[in-house]
Amino acid sequence: MYLQSLDPRVTRLHLPEGDMPPMEAKPALDQFETYEAFHQKKEGAAHTYVGPVHAPNEEVAFLFAKEQYSRRFPCVGLWVVRTAHIQVTPYAGDSENIYDMLRIEAPAEPSAEAVPYEIFHLKKRGKAHTHAGRVLATSYQEALQEARKAFGDKGPIVNVWIVKSKDVLQSAEEDKDMWTTIPEKKYRDAIAYKVMDKITKFKEEQKNNIAP
Amino acid sequence: MYGGGNVFEATKFDDLQAEDPVKLAEFEARIAGGEKIEPTDWMPELYRKQLIRMIEQHAHSEIIGALPEGTWITRAPGFRRKMAQMAKVQDEVGHAQLLYSAAETLGKSREQMLTDLINGKSKYSNVFNYPAFTWADSNIISWLIDAGAIVNQMANAKGSYGPYARALERICAEEAFHLKYGHDAVVHMATGTPTQRAMIQAALNRWWGPIMTFFGPSDKMSTHTETLMRWKVKMASNDECRQQFLDMYVPKIWELGLTVPDPKLKKNPETGQWEYTEPDWEEFKRVINGDGPCNAERLAVRRTAEERGAWVRRALLNPKAQYVRPLA
Repeated sequence: MYLQSLDPRVTRLHLPEGDMPPMEAKPALDQFETYEAFHQKKEGAAHTYVGPVHAPNEEVAFLFAKEQYSRRFPCVGLWVVRTAHIQVTPYAGDSENIYDMLRIEAPAEPSAEAVPYEIFHLKKRGKAHTHAGRVLATSYQEALQEARKAFGDKGPIVNVWIVKSKDVLQSAEEDKDMWTTIPEKKYRDAIAYKVMDKITKFKEEQKNNIAP
Repeated sequence: MYGGGNVFEATKFDDLQAEDPVKLAEFEARIAGGEKIEPTDWMPELYRKQLIRMIEQHAHSEIIGALPEGTWITRAPGFRRKMAQMAKVQDEVGHAQLLYSAAETLGKSREQMLTDLINGKSKYSNVFNYPAFTWADSNIISWLIDAGAIVNQMANAKGSYGPYARALERICAEEAFHLKYGHDAVVHMATGTPTQRAMIQAALNRWWGPIMTFFGPSDKMSTHTETLMRWKVKMASNDECRQQFLDMYVPKIWELGLTVPDPKLKKNPETGQWEYTEPDWEEFKRVINGDGPCNAERLAVRRTAEERGAWVRRALLNPKAQYVRPLA
C-alpha cells in the first residue's frame, strides 16, 4: 500500500507506507559550494553582506541570492562571490582596529600587474560586512596594505574581507527592473492586514446582540 | 517559524575542565561584555555542539513546517490568500536556508544535517507531526504557531553567536507579515458565519495541546543550563517563553469570543503567572520519538524530494568544486 495523506498530491507521490531503510548519507558536495551575497539597499549605498547561498556556479548563485536576499525588501544591486575567493583576516574585538593588530608585510618586488580588489569591513561583531572601497594591488597581501592606507583609520574595524574585483559577479544597471515588482506585492507586508477594524466591528455587534 | 522546545541534554562536554582556562576566560569575558562570537573565534566544545543542535533543529522546523501549510496553497480560498500563503511558505523555506548556513559556520555540513533529518537523528518542532485537517487549521498554524515561534526567535536573536543573530534578524523581519496574515485569517473566520466560527473553534481545540507543548517541558535547572544561559545560547527558559506567549495571545483569542479548551487556564492575579492544565508530556515524548500522526509522512515527503532531485544536483555539480565553509 502507498502512504495515504490528507493532501492528495502527497498520496499521488505513491510513497511506500511503513518504515523505510535509512537513507544513505548524502555525498560531499551534494549541496554544492557556497557563495557569499552582498546587497545594495538603495542607490549610492554601500553593498552590505547578507549571507551565503549554496549553488553549482556563479550564475545560479546569483539567482538563488536574488530569491533569498532580495525577494522581500527594497534592493537595487546584488553581488555574489565564491566563498573560496574571499581572503579573511582574524577577528578583533569591538573596540579594536584589526589593521593595527596585524603585521602586514610589504610584498617584495611586485611581479604581477596591479589589479582591482574589493575591500569589506566589519565594524561590529554580529553586524554585517560592508563594502569599504576598491584598491589596486598585485596580491591579497598588498591589497590589505593598500586598504589600511585608504580606509584603515576609520574607527574600530573588527574584520576585513578581500576579494579580487574580477571574482565578484555584480548585477548590472540594466538588471535593476528585476526588483521593480517588490512594492506591488503588498500582501507580503504586515501593514496590509488591518485586523483592528474587523475586531472592533465584531465587538460592537456582540454588544448589540446581547443588549436587551 | 520555529520549533521551540529545545531539550538541552547534558552531554559528555558538560564539564569544562577539558577546555583551556585562559581561552575560556577570554571567551566568557567577551560575551559578558556584550560582544558577539564569530565563526573563527575560539569557543568551548559545549557551546559549539549546543548551537549546532539548536540552529539545526530550528532549520529543520522551518523546512518541515512548510509542508502542512504548503498543502493549503492550492485550496486557499481566493487568489489573494493563495498568493499570501505561497509567499509565507517561500519565506519559511528561505529561513531554513539561512539557518542551515548559520549552523554550517560551526562545522556541520548541510549534507550531514539533511541526512540526519531524514534518518530521524535530528529533530524538528513536534507540532508539525500533527495534521492540518482544514483551512482553519492552516490559519491557526499561521497565527499561533508562528506567534510562538516569534517569542522564541526574538529571545534567541539577542544570543551571542553572530551568524545566528544575523539570520534571526532577517527572519524576524519577515515573520511580522506571517503573524498579521495569520491573525487576519483567524479574525475573518471568527467574525464570519456560524459555520466559519465553528470551524476555527474546532481547529483551535485540535491545536491547543500541541501549542502548549511548543516551548518544551520545564527546564531542569542544572549547572549545564546555567552555563548555556551565561553564554547566551539559551536566552529564556521554556516556561518563560510559554508564559509570555499566553500573556500576549490568550487575550487576543478571547476577544474573538473563542474559547480555549482548558478549564484551568487563568492568570493568577497575585503571581501574574498563567495557570494551566499540565500538557501531556507523555504524548509529546511519544510523538517526538516518531509515533505521531504525521511523522512518517513528513519525512517521506522530504526524503522523496531529496532523492528525486539528486540526479539534477549531480548533473549540475562542477567536478572542480571544492567545499569551503560559509564565512559568516
